Amino acid sequence: MKRLQKFKSAFWNQRDIAGSHLHAGFNFARKWKLIVLFTSFMALLPLFVMTLVDFNLTRRTIEDEVKTSISKILSSAAAYISFCKEMNQHDLNFITRFESGEDNDMFVVNQGGTLLTSSFYYGNEGSPTLFINTLSKAKTGIVETITPDGESVIAGYTRVTGTSLILVLVKSKKKLTDLWLKPRLKLIGYLFVSIILILLSIMGLATLLVGRIHSADKKRLKALHHAGYTNKLASIGRLASGVAHEINNPLAIINQKTGLIMDLVTLKKELSSDERLMPLANDVLDAVNRCSTITRRLLDFARHMEPSIETVNIEEVIGHVLAFHKKEAKHRSISISVDSPDSIPEFKCDRGSLQQIFLNLVNNAFAAMKDDGRLDIGIKLNKKKAVVITVADTGSGISEDDIHNIFEPFYSSKDKHWGTGLGLSITYGLIKEIGGDIMVKSKIGKGTSFTLILPITAEAINDKG
Amino acid sequence: MKQAYQTLNVSKKNSIELSLKILLVDDEKEFVLTLSERLQIRDMWTAVVFDGKSALDLIHTDAPEVMIIDLKMPVIDGIDVLKQVKQTKPEIEVIVLTGHGSEQDKKKCMGLGAFAYMQKPVDIDLLSKSLKKALEKIKANKSPVI
Ligand SMILES: Nc1ncnc2c1ncn2[C@@H]1O[C@H](COP(=O)(O)OP(=O)(O)OP(=O)(O)O)[C@@H](O)[C@H]1O
Ligand SMILES: [Mg+2]
Repeated sequence: MKRLQKFKSAFWNQRDIAGSHLHAGFNFARKWKLIVLFTSFMALLPLFVMTLVDFNLTRRTIEDEVKTSISKILSSAAAYISFCKEMNQHDLNFITRFESGEDNDMFVVNQGGTLLTSSFYYGNEGSPTLFINTLSKAKTGIVETITPDGESVIAGYTRVTGTSLILVLVKSKKKLTDLWLKPRLKLIGYLFVSIILILLSIMGLATLLVGRIHSADKKRLKALHHAGYTNKLASIGRLASGVAHEINNPLAIINQKTGLIMDLVTLKKELSSDERLMPLANDVLDAVNRCSTITRRLLDFARHMEPSIETVNIEEVIGHVLAFHKKEAKHRSISISVDSPDSIPEFKCDRGSLQQIFLNLVNNAFAAMKDDGRLDIGIKLNKKKAVVITVADTGSGISEDDIHNIFEPFYSSKDKHWGTGLGLSITYGLIKEIGGDIMVKSKIGKGTSFTLILPITAEAINDKG
Repeated sequence: MKQAYQTLNVSKKNSIELSLKILLVDDEKEFVLTLSERLQIRDMWTAVVFDGKSALDLIHTDAPEVMIIDLKMPVIDGIDVLKQVKQTKPEIEVIVLTGHGSEQDKKKCMGLGAFAYMQKPVDIDLLSKSLKKALEKIKANKSPVI
């Protein structure tokens, strides 16, 4: 049973993976069985019918043939006997012995059923044969009967005209069957083998077919989930931008009122007697600034403006972003390397989006690394003519549990002061807008590597070539 | 509603800001009043209105040199005010200061001829700088070109 399990396709144990809410579900195992049953039935039914018809037909023809040959032999023998008229025992014996052979048993009986010549099945002269009573009054005929030995036979008889003799020819049914059944059985054997082959190929095809449907279904589901996720992000974005806008107004009031307090304190010297007043007001302004960074980033996140498409050189964009970090890298002795073995064609893209994407990734990498770290950026062209960019750091890494959350808005492991948790969700949104993809691999303590795939349009490639 | 331009500090007659008349338009009263007071502390003449209609009335009777407007206001919103100001009095410089700003809004405003586009909450120094630039532009336009 275990070994059977190995051959089962992936869909076999999959029930209703689409979940109850999406559609009525699709029981793959049941579908498979249905297909196999239906196709087998349709394919094998004519085969069976033909064999059956052929079987019966052959049997009947052979039997008919035997019957005609029996009556022929009988009629010629009877004609001979009636022609000779005066037949002694010796002549009768001669005639019957002449006709009897391996398959035939010919003998003569009188009206009472007593044997006048010896018979293979019914014994020597003088023995009675019972079946003679079942014969009809007709001159000739053929009956099926059973000999005293229990063998079923075909018996042909004819009443010899002008005498009271009945000439009988008995043929064993078994020998007769042997004649046609053996080749038939061979044929049926072939048929059996071909049935098995047909069944196997039907099952194979059904497995292939249902497997295909299954994998297509899986792909569709994945796409659905993906679309769901993108949708979710979009609605979070709308909500976030609404909230951010509304918060900006009271924030502006706090900002101005605090500013006014500070203005007044600087203007009217008598108020500034308490030295703590200005620092306190400054703290309020700091908090306002923090809030407004958050609202600003939220608005970035929800940004759905028309991207301004221009021709960009990806190496240049990355170099531009890295320039921001030159000083910090030197200060913390972090080495940065950019490796681009292929010549990357320029392509059309939103430059601002690209900058923000790389700025976020590089910021995160710098935040994750201690001094003496290494940041490696690789730029390659893949076969599908897309740019593949890896941003790998030697930082703290991300745990298996957290790695699913990093693209969610507001997920951050950083101190509230430093991280809004919006960086990667913005990055994700922007990459999706461009039509690219982002993947992450990480090992705790070893580092993290983000892989971006950016599509470049066909015309971009032509430009270069 | 008539609104006189006021300033707190009239002593420094010679400072460049003195000549600048600013009209603040915003339905957030607390915000706009405080901002106005702070600009007055910085020697600017300011007047405040709380809706777009009063603003449009005022520019015909007592025109400011610079306007600071919010985008989202009841009745007539900031974009319409900006449009009408630029149509009737193109010499008035308009600074858009809003909490409801998308990149699209920014593009639209700049396209309509706004002088600057700023997001709330704004730093007063940044705003002052922008106002100063506006003043320079106005001066440059006024002085005869030879
Ligand atoms: N290169 C990295 N190495 C280790 N952890 C990372 C890396 N990049 C992201 N992370 C983890 O993912 C979290 C989310 O990152 P994200 O950029 O979205 O927000 P943030 O950096 O915390 O805040 P913000 O970008 O707004 O300043 C981070 O807090 C960090 O835990
Ligand atoms: Mg970040």
